[in-house]
Amino acid sequence: MKKRLYLELENCIGCRSCLAACTQCGGHEQRNRNYVYDVNPFVNRQTMPLMCLHCVNPACARSCPAQAIQIHETGAVLSALVEKCIGCQNCTIACPYGIPKFDTEQNLMYKCDMCIDRSKDGIPPMCASVCPSNTIQWLSDEEIEAKQRQFNLNNGKWVTSMPYLEGETNVKVNLPGILQGVTKLF
Amino acid sequence: MQTNMSSQAKSGRSINDAFASHFAKSVFLTIVGLAVLTFIGTRMFTHIDLNLYGYMVGTIVFIGGFFYRFIAWGERPPTKNIIKKGLKLLFRRNTAKTAFNHLAIFDFIRNRGVYRWIQHILIGWGCVLACLVTFPLVFGWMYFTMEENGYYTIVLFGMNVMKVNAEGVIAFFSYNALNIAAVMVIAGVCMALYRRLKNMQARAEQTFIYDFLPLYMLLFVSITGLLLTFMNIVMHGHGQPIMSLIHQFSVIVTLIYLPFGKLAHIPFRPMSVLARNYREHYGEQSMKECKVCGDKFVSIEQSNDVIQVLGINDIEFEMKEGFHLAELCLPCRRKYRISRFSGFPTHQIKVKEANQNAKG
Ligand code: SF4
Ligand code: SF4
Repeated sequence: MKKRLYLELENCIGCRSCLAACTQCGGHEQRNRNYVYDVNPFVNRQTMPLMCLHCVNPACARSCPAQAIQIHETGAVLSALVEKCIGCQNCTIACPYGIPKFDTEQNLMYKCDMCIDRSKDGIPPMCASVCPSNTIQWLSDEEIEAKQRQFNLNNGKWVTSMPYLEGETNVKVNLPGILQGVTKLF
Repeated sequence: MQTNMSSQAKSGRSINDAFASHFAKSVFLTIVGLAVLTFIGTRMFTHIDLNLYGYMVGTIVFIGGFFYRFIAWGERPPTKNIIKKGLKLLFRRNTAKTAFNHLAIFDFIRNRGVYRWIQHILIGWGCVLACLVTFPLVFGWMYFTMEENGYYTIVLFGMNVMKVNAEGVIAFFSYNALNIAAVMVIAGVCMALYRRLKNMQARAEQTFIYDFLPLYMLLFVSITGLLLTFMNIVMHGHGQPIMSLIHQFSVIVTLIYLPFGKLAHIPFRPMSVLARNYREHYGEQSMKECKVCGDKFVSIEQSNDVIQVLGINDIEFEMKEGFHLAELCLPCRRKYRISRFSGFPTHQIKVKEANQNAKG
């Protein structure tokens, strides 16, 4: 069954396990490709992870002159093909979320590839495997629907991606508690 | 390449009207160029080695394939931008240095890993060496004549370039250039194959056709080439004609396949020099200031180009705050997204982003 990445941003406790796990994925060469941000650093400790959302119509790939960014059949938008990337950095400028990273020495862009060696066989990506707070989950579409029912968000505030993102994405994002004003138990 | 990039033909009577398309014109000019060089090189077609004509056909098919790929690719709006602007900047002072680093010593590959760098140097320079010998021979741009006195004359483009002693060092390297090239390529390909078989990451990502086929083809070419030499020397030419055919076949198939598979990254690599020029030149001219924090993060030119390219693809990132997302520096763009999620203006808080590097 096809599963996808699902983020419940507000669960994040800022442990940055996902960053550490990202470095350990094959092919990531010890460098993480995701981010964790403080929402309001001077006031509280709320953090949120940010990573490539694997756009259905990815701006990064559309702007790449070398066709170095390929879209995998699972929908994952892959990191630049090492032999093709010509180092122009268009993709870093195009991505609406500022995700792709660029290595000047290697003249190469690298970005989240959804740990394609794992996820193509249905194994969750590294970040989802380690997240201790259930912020990053690996769910089937049915399970995501069940979530929607569980949070009973028929108030139009179910933020799975649209219209809060710039386009349809393969990763689904949600913020059930903050939007409902509900305190969650975990 | 120059010609096909030249600006659109003006309507009316222009030489361009003679051709069905830019594509047709480029191929035509290239083949005419080859023919002229060959005409001069062979002293008006008097020194053609007809044994080699299979290669000639292969080369011409290769040129067709290459142009086909290149033009299909160059039509994409972002590619067009870089090619057009990059070519205009070709005569920058830094071009030679960048080209040397990118195309001769592959410094960026060394930074990606020494093993793969050695492998690239061996395969890359092996192939270049082989081409430098093969193509001039095939098209008659270079040939050898032998006189009675034990000296060879190397004839380049119809001019006697130098006389070399048939027993001497230069002569030795000239006869054996192809063998040396073959050994280099075989060593490089073996390194690549070893990595593909052992490295877990490579194993997870590779596909047989895309990643292995080119390697096996290179191996096929080099080994049949070496066997030719072997048959000449050890077996006194026995079996040589048939092996020569097999070798020709291997070269022609590889040439025809080259623009369409993984090997296409070789003829397309010079693009990285254009891209570097583009970034350096417009970066020196004027930098874009981030609409939130004011940091200069990219050239204005590139920011506009990206916005335009996205527009062509019907991607509009105009925000109600009055900026396009491509006008924010990367950290601000990420924080802006957090603010969209949380409803709190994270990007407005004047604090450097927390460390995002897991290694501390
Ligand atoms: S989020 Fe950015 S990097 Fe990821 S697919 Fe979309 S445009 Fe590309
Ligand atoms: S930096 Fe590489 S991957 Fe990014 S747009 Fe340029 S060529 Fe494509």
